[in-house]
Amino acid sequence: MKRYLETGNFAVTEGAILAGCRFFAGYPITPATELAEAMSYRMPQVDGIYIQGEDECAALHLCIGAALGGYKAMTATSGPGYILYADPYGWAIGCEIPVVILNSGRVGPVSGITGAPGQGEFYLTRYPTQGGNFETIVLAPNSAQEAMAMTVEAFYLAERFRTPVTILADQLVTDGFEDISVPENEEEMKAMGFRTWPRGINRGPVFYPPTDEIDIPPVVLGHNTGALCSDWTPTEEGYDTEEVVAHHKHAYRLIFKIRNHKDLFNHLYEKTFMDDDPDLVVVSYGTPSRVVNTAVKKARQEGLKVGALRLIHLWPFPDEHFKKKTKYLSVELNWDGQLVREVRRAAHKDAEVHFVGSCGDLPAVAELLEVFEKLLKGQPLARKGWELEEW
Amino acid sequence: MDYLSKKYLRPRKIPSSACSGCGLGMNHKAVIQAVYELGLEVDDIVWGTSIGCAGRQTFGTWKGDGFAGTHGRVYAIARGLRLALPPEKKIILTVGDGDAFGIGLLHLIHAARSNADLTIIVNDNLGYMSTGGQYGWTTPHGTKSDSSPYGMYEHNMVSDGMDVLGVLKNAGATFLARHVSMDGPRAVESIKKGIANRGLSLIHIVYPCPTNVGSRELGTRDAVTIYNWIKNQAAPIGQERSDTLWATGVYHDASNSRPEFSESIHQHVGRIRRQRLYENKI
Repeated sequence: MKRYLETGNFAVTEGAILAGCRFFAGYPITPATELAEAMSYRMPQVDGIYIQGEDECAALHLCIGAALGGYKAMTATSGPGYILYADPYGWAIGCEIPVVILNSGRVGPVSGITGAPGQGEFYLTRYPTQGGNFETIVLAPNSAQEAMAMTVEAFYLAERFRTPVTILADQLVTDGFEDISVPENEEEMKAMGFRTWPRGINRGPVFYPPTDEIDIPPVVLGHNTGALCSDWTPTEEGYDTEEVVAHHKHAYRLIFKIRNHKDLFNHLYEKTFMDDDPDLVVVSYGTPSRVVNTAVKKARQEGLKVGALRLIHLWPFPDEHFKKKTKYLSVELNWDGQLVREVRRAAHKDAEVHFVGSCGDLPAVAELLEVFEKLLKGQPLARKGWELEEW
Repeated sequence: MDYLSKKYLRPRKIPSSACSGCGLGMNHKAVIQAVYELGLEVDDIVWGTSIGCAGRQTFGTWKGDGFAGTHGRVYAIARGLRLALPPEKKIILTVGDGDAFGIGLLHLIHAARSNADLTIIVNDNLGYMSTGGQYGWTTPHGTKSDSSPYGMYEHNMVSDGMDVLGVLKNAGATFLARHVSMDGPRAVESIKKGIANRGLSLIHIVYPCPTNVGSRELGTRDAVTIYNWIKNQAAPIGQERSDTLWATGVYHDASNSRPEFSESIHQHVGRIRRQRLYENKI
C-alpha cells in the first residue's frame, strides 16, 4: 500500500490502471482536465494509450472503438462535455459495449461557472442519450479515495453488464487533495474490496441474446467471429432489423439485465445514525454528503433525532431506502432540485420530502442545522431569493 | 453479384434492400473486386459503415466482422479500433456523402490529420436520399430535391473552385481519388491503391439515385436517364469539358509517405516503456 497526498483525478487514474484500463481518450475541460493530464503521463508507463479527441463526442467514440477492439477504455469530462456524449453513449448502450465515463460536475447550465462544484446532471446520467428503452448504472463517490474505489467498481460492472457506466463526481471530488492509499498488489486490492473482471470475447453466433442474463462477453471485433454491431436494433446475430418484436427483446435486455441484478451494486450506500428510525432522514450524494454527515453528528449532539443516507449508486434509483413514513430532506448542489424529485417519487405516500439547494459552494453546517430544527418542529423553511413556495 | 459475393458476402444480405435501379451495388462490387484482386481474405478486413443509404445497404454484407457507427462518427470509432487492431488488419469504411462531408467532416479531417490507416469509400448519391431526397454538400448547383424545390442554391463543396478532396489533402490524407460508379475498372484500381496505402485513403464515388435525384431533377425514375446524366457530366482528370462536374481519377497520391497513426502512437508508447525499463522504473 502506498500513501499519497493527491487529487481525486490522481486517484481515479490509479483506480483505472488497477482495473485494467489501458486506453483513455479525453478532451480538455475544467475540472476534469487534470485527469486527462494524469492519464497522459501514466498510460504509456503501463503500456496504455492516451489520445485527445477533436471533441468530447469523438473522445467517447474513440473509447468505444478501442473497446470494440478489446481495450478497457475510459473517458472523463464535465457537464458541457457530457452532453456531447449523448451520441456515442446511446451507441455503447445499444451495442452493449463496456466503457467507463467520469463526469466531474460543475455549475451550469452551459459553461456556467467552470471551477466550482455542481450537481446538475443527476437526471442526465439516467437519460444520457435519446430513445429510452434502457437502464443505466451511475456511481457517485464523495472523496478521492472512494473515487478510486468506484472507478475500479465501474470497470467491474461495465464488464459484467456489458454497458457504459458513469461515475458522477463533482469538482471537489476530482480537484480536492486528500490522503489516498493505493494498493500495490492483488491481495491489497482484495483487502480494500476492489473487484475486477477480465474482458471476454463473444464468439457468437448469438451476439445479442434475448435474455436478462449478465456475464455474457461483449462483441470484440478483429477476432474473426463474424461479429456485427450497429446503431440499429439488432437481431440476435447483430443484423439490423425494423421488427418490433426483435426490438422488444433487445430493449427488454437493456432494461432488465440491470434491473434484475441490482444485488451486484445495491450495497453501495452509506447510512449514518439510521438505526433508531430517525424523525428526519437527510439524503445526499457526492461532496455535500460530507457536510451533511458533520451536520447530522452535531444535530445528534444537540439531541435532534436526525439520520443521514448517502447514495453511492444513484441509478437504478434505490427505492428500497425510502419506504419508511418519516421526513426526508434532500441536500443538493443545484437550485432546481433534482434528487428531491426522485426521493419524492420513491418515498412512502405519507412521507414529507423537503429540499435544500446550493450551487458552486457547499452548504454550511450551521445552515443545515437550522433547517433540521425547523423541519423537526414542523416550521416552514426560510425562503431564499425569489422562491414563492417551498420546492 | 457473382462468385465474389459467395466468397466475401453474406447470403442473407444479397440481394440488398436498395431501391430498384440504385447504383450503390456498382460501388460495392468495385470494392469487393479490389479486395479480391489484392488477394485479401475475409479475415483480413473489418468492415465499417455509417448511416444513410450507403451505410445501411452495405452494413452486415461483409462475411467477416463488421460495424455501423453513429451518423458521422464512424471515423472516430474506426480510429479507436485502429489502435486496438494489429496493423495487418485492414479497415474499410463504406459511408455516404452526408456522413463524410456533412455531419462527420470534423472527424474525417482529424482522421486525415492523424493519417489513420483506413480506406474510406464515400458513396455519393448527391444528397440525403434515405430520408426522401434532401440536398447535401455535393449536390450540383440548380439540382432540384425535396428541400431545394427551386434548385440547389447553397455553396457546395465540389464547385466554384472548391473541392472537399482539397480540404482532405491539406488535412493530411495520403490517398485521394474521385470516380463515378460507371468507371468500373478505373475505380477498382483506385480502391486497390487506397487499400494498399498504409494511411488514410478516401475514394469518392458518385452513384445514381433514380428514386429521388432522378425523379426530382430529371423528372423520371428511369435508371438509364440518371446513369447517362451522371456519366455525361464526368470525365477523366485532364479531359474535362466545360460542363464536367466530376473529374475522375487519382486526385492525390502520397501513399506511405507519412507515418501512420496507430504505428506512431504504439512507437511513442514503446519508446517511453523502453526508457523506463532502462531507468529500472518497471
